[in-house]
Amino acid sequence: MHGRVKVKSTAQQEEEKRKEREKKLKVYLTVRDAIFKKRSNSELDEEALQLTQQLLASNPDFATLWNYRREILLQLETVKEEEEMQKLYETELLFIESCLKVNPKSYGSWYHRGWVASRLLRPDWQRELGLCDRCLSLDDRNFHCWDYRRLVVKVSGVSVEQELQFTDRLIGSNFSNYSSWHYRSTLLPLLHPQPASDPASACQKHTHTHTPPTVSPQMHGHRVCEEQLLKEYELVQNAVFTDPNDQSAWFYYRWLLGRAEREELISCVYVSREGERVAVAFSKPVNVVSLMLVLDGQPQQVEWRSVHPRLRHSPVWLCELPPGSISDINNEHNLTVHWPEKHTHRDCALYTGRMESWCRESATDQELFRSELSVEKTSVLQSELQSCTQLLELEPQNKWCLLTIILLMRALDPLGHEKETLTHFQMLKEVDPMRSSYYSDLCSKFMIENTILKMEYAEVRVFSLSDKNLSTLCHLDQLLLVTHINLCSNQLVKLPLQFAMLHCLEVLEADDNAIENLDGLYNLPKLEEVSLKNNQISKISDLSPLATCPKLTRLDLRGNPVTKTADIQAELAELLPSLTDLLL
Amino acid sequence: MGTQIKDVVIKPDAPNTLLLEKHADYIAAYGSKKDDYEYTLSEYLRMSGIYWGLTVMDLMSQLHRMNRDEIIDFIKASQHECGGISASVGHDPHLLYTLSAVQGRLDAVDVDKAVQFVLSCMNFDGGFGCRPGSESHAGQIYCCTGFLSITGQLQQVNADLLGWWLCERQLPSGGLNGRPEKVRHPHTLTDFITSLPTFIYTVGIESLGTPGEIDTRFSFCAVATLALLGRLDAVDVDKAVQFVLSCMNFDGGFGCRPGSESHAGQIYCCTGFLSITGQLQQVNADLLGWWLCERQLPSGGLNGRPEKLPDVCYSWWVLAALKIISRIHWIDKAKLRTFILACQDEETGGFADRPGDMVDPFHTLFGVAGLSLLGDEQIKAVNPVFCMPEEVLQRIGLHTDLLT
Repeated sequence: MHGRVKVKSTAQQEEEKRKEREKKLKVYLTVRDAIFKKRSNSELDEEALQLTQQLLASNPDFATLWNYRREILLQLETVKEEEEMQKLYETELLFIESCLKVNPKSYGSWYHRGWVASRLLRPDWQRELGLCDRCLSLDDRNFHCWDYRRLVVKVSGVSVEQELQFTDRLIGSNFSNYSSWHYRSTLLPLLHPQPASDPASACQKHTHTHTPPTVSPQMHGHRVCEEQLLKEYELVQNAVFTDPNDQSAWFYYRWLLGRAEREELISCVYVSREGERVAVAFSKPVNVVSLMLVLDGQPQQVEWRSVHPRLRHSPVWLCELPPGSISDINNEHNLTVHWPEKHTHRDCALYTGRMESWCRESATDQELFRSELSVEKTSVLQSELQSCTQLLELEPQNKWCLLTIILLMRALDPLGHEKETLTHFQMLKEVDPMRSSYYSDLCSKFMIENTILKMEYAEVRVFSLSDKNLSTLCHLDQLLLVTHINLCSNQLVKLPLQFAMLHCLEVLEADDNAIENLDGLYNLPKLEEVSLKNNQISKISDLSPLATCPKLTRLDLRGNPVTKTADIQAELAELLPSLTDLLL
Repeated sequence: MGTQIKDVVIKPDAPNTLLLEKHADYIAAYGSKKDDYEYTLSEYLRMSGIYWGLTVMDLMSQLHRMNRDEIIDFIKASQHECGGISASVGHDPHLLYTLSAVQGRLDAVDVDKAVQFVLSCMNFDGGFGCRPGSESHAGQIYCCTGFLSITGQLQQVNADLLGWWLCERQLPSGGLNGRPEKVRHPHTLTDFITSLPTFIYTVGIESLGTPGEIDTRFSFCAVATLALLGRLDAVDVDKAVQFVLSCMNFDGGFGCRPGSESHAGQIYCCTGFLSITGQLQQVNADLLGWWLCERQLPSGGLNGRPEKLPDVCYSWWVLAALKIISRIHWIDKAKLRTFILACQDEETGGFADRPGDMVDPFHTLFGVAGLSLLGDEQIKAVNPVFCMPEEVLQRIGLHTDLLT
């Protein structure tokens, strides 16, 4: 029951209504029972069509009745002449149309219409498109009708180009039509695909203009060629300048700014003589039981595991080599990790005298976080940024514009724009307080990306990001090689499971947060010092993940509720026997 | 210039405390209206009604007020020979009502048959229809051959025998040879097979020979039913996953079918589906989470799509999806709670879609379940994937994946 306003009525009105309903109920039940009886007797005749029509006219969601009608119609096909059937189906279409007028959102009616339309001897798809037009002119967001339209388009071979023009028309008459923008996002990559080899090359119109099997604009990394993109930016600019508070065009804008997903590859192989461990990082979370490891030309029997048993898909996987394989520091070794599923591999050489080694994908800063950034030329993005900045001057409180500016700045020069980005995030939280946690998390993500970029430029293994209002941690797979991390004075509430990817971590400083959960401090083989002053750790059991870190010697828990626990010294001595330096 | 935001205004005298007792009274009395006209009109969804009632009563610790035996008898009477369960006695079996029955009373269902039914609803493209091919065997053969031809396993079919079968039967125009026109009268299996790719790729809607309406809702219904029955291994999960992923959109959301617009109800189904099948890492959680938290309107209520009115049932669909992808903190919980509470009817009990509208059991469940996700301690904890009390799932040992 949606959108039915409750109205007060007098006792007399109530009584009248009651009587009326009683009468209606009687009729309804008589017809329903007659239908059920006929069906159980397998009577597939025109009388049953009449009866079901009676009920469906007011109750089109009674799916069983539509099923019955289809059975009857199929039966009649076997006994009637084709022309007769054509007429019968035409009548059926009129009936469905009347049902759709009563309830334009009935799944059953729309499904039945598609079925009937396609059974016609001479299907009239033009008429069906006309019906969709009429229906969408009454409610341009009716997704049942949109889906039906897509079906008709597919079956009747309407070209993608025509459909794109259709969305042009709808968007032109009303920018605030999310359904049309959505439809565009599915059509554009079909009509103007970005050439796989050269993203910047000219647009080629796709040769087959009929709609092929639908592809997901998210999943298949389908992008649009640059020339068309410029036109799309223009369209979006028109929309957002006309109505800067309408979200449809902004959502579409964000999609245009996005770029193809990073391909699946092995981004890093790390090997350590100590413990004879190998860690492999991937560009995405994966589940790779089939990974193959070759050491000095010999395939090795190893057992791969994700960094944490609760992460079935992880961007980092670990294994131990058979004892003695690489322990002698005087030997040089060559290691190759093969990922047969993706036909890819990565080599790593471990030289004599070195305790550890790694080989990484040489990602530039542009590529590192590229699934979030834009592929377009700087000049294009610059001009987009200029337009948005103009709009912001007119509409200084517009959250959509603020967010888009942040995204454009990140695509152009994330480090150069860091200060302005932070100011804009502050503003966003003020104008849209309901979503302040979203903005905090997004800002944290960008700050982490920036810090990773800085770390890359400096070629160090220290990650320091203190006093930046971090509310969440992400991209931890990029920190596989980090030995020191400083996260002090932020707003973190936990060290998530993914923290277990910091396989080389020796020192963790995370004072002055609100951390209550340490699940990610799991199996970190080199972790020696942990400082967690002034956090929210309240129970001894919260510290139990630390027991899996064999080298832990120093732990600072001052200012945590847990320090009030009776007998804490003794309990911790038992839980963490390697500790030599405990500060409570 | 600008579009007015569609939203409601919450009046100062709107309810602002949870009226649990009234809601329990409302649900307990609902089933006694059997002679009511409107009640009868909703017979086509009765099984879901039973699930809504049972679950909301359980969440409010009032399950003892429901007539257990009557419900079990009703479910048993609604399970068909094929294993599927219908909305009510006399109606056709349907995947949605099969799930509702299993969610309501697991113990009233014939498990093996129900599993068979769910499997028979799978389409060759990995999608699920609401019911199996109900026509001739030809329909199923069509399905199988379609599937085999796509996977390149057609040699497994005894073509001669099948061709003979098809010709001999002089198939009625339904089922197998119904559409498109080109295969209306296939003379040989080869004719039939060669026309298959066109058929499969041009016809988005299925003939009676294949599962009815295909929809990601039914993908969810199928795996949720199997998971509750402890038989998820019975289905080709990879294929089903591929279908759901092909419904992912530019905004990170999901629609009914490939190409369909994102909708919070479908997003709940698809994230729930990916949770059950262990594939949540496929979701673009930051993008989807942004779209979902933008569903919150100034009144605090959530809508299901951009530029739509808020509705209590989206307190469930949006919130559960956010919970599944671990981003529930991206909305303003206090404001949503205010909106949900304002949708209560102080006189009759129950929740409406919006303040001042008529109440019904559907919105009553999703209002209460939404409050549970928001952490209301007067209500039992609800599972975001199955929309059932957590304790029930613990009892049957079903663990739920949330994005970490």
